[in-house]
Amino acid sequence: MHGSLALVGMGLAVLGSSIGIGILVAAALQGIARQPEAMNKIQPLMFVMASIIEAIALFVIILCMLNLNK
Amino acid sequence: MSAAFNLDEYINHHIRDSHQWQLPFLPTIQLPPYLSLHGVMLLIGTLVLIIIFCFLYDKKQPVPHGFTNLLEFFVVYMRDEIAIKNLGEEEGRRMTPFLCTLFFFILVLNLLGLIPLFTAATANLNVTGALAFLTLCFMIFGTLWKNGFKGFLKAITPSGIPWLILPVPFLMEFFGIFTKAFALMIRLFANMLAGHIMIFSLLGIVVTLGLIGLPALVLGVCIAAFEVFVAFLQAYIFVMLSAVFIGRMYHPDH
Repeated sequence: MHGSLALVGMGLAVLGSSIGIGILVAAALQGIARQPEAMNKIQPLMFVMASIIEAIALFVIILCMLNLNK
Repeated sequence: MSAAFNLDEYINHHIRDSHQWQLPFLPTIQLPPYLSLHGVMLLIGTLVLIIIFCFLYDKKQPVPHGFTNLLEFFVVYMRDEIAIKNLGEEEGRRMTPFLCTLFFFILVLNLLGLIPLFTAATANLNVTGALAFLTLCFMIFGTLWKNGFKGFLKAITPSGIPWLILPVPFLMEFFGIFTKAFALMIRLFANMLAGHIMIFSLLGIVVTLGLIGLPALVLGVCIAAFEVFVAFLQAYIFVMLSAVFIGRMYHPDH
């Protein structure tokens, strides 16, 4: 087989982070659906939290990129 | 194509720091050893900021119009929602210039990276490290200056823990200061780097596959448009988290 094991790590990193952001966006959408006037408060908070969750996946991707050459 | 196209080298050449600047129709500019390409980007960013805020920002208008109004929106948002909410009334007003400078500097550097002939200086770990180091200095030395050494220890100590096991959470909070600054650095760096690698990978697909790969060009343009949004978002998040961390050290609620 060809390739490095670090690529598998890269794929695994995205798994948990995507599920977490999916749950976050679902909760935010539910909140907006209950009370549409609250969209201006909920939406910026959603983006901020999504970026914090995304940062964890990006740490792991950067660490994997350092070990790419076997 | 005269030489074989190496995708790896194409991406690395556009992402990494180098001492050569290739402009079209001009010979390659060879930069001196003390100034690299990202250094030139930093200088251009500073120049853009000075031009925008010293010359284009009209202070004499009683009611702001036009470009001044656009900048007012960001500056007032920084002061009211980010600085004063996290740092208190008077400390917030004193820290607003630092937070505004951080925001506009990071924003300009991120947006310069999306222009075809320039590269993103924030895709360099040293640049984001220096910016996170500023926040770290405010967190440590600012607290030492304001509250003294005892105040610094009080800010680190979590509350409501029996004294027997206190060293463990204390150490965790102490290293947490450095971890938060490290996370700020890595977040900005990784977001910018990932965006640029995606764009250059898609452009490399077009070159490798020829005419079949043209839809990849459309996708590349769409991702570049998304990167504008990511540039704004990452600058905002860096500054907001800086303000939150500094505020938690200056006025610990525990």
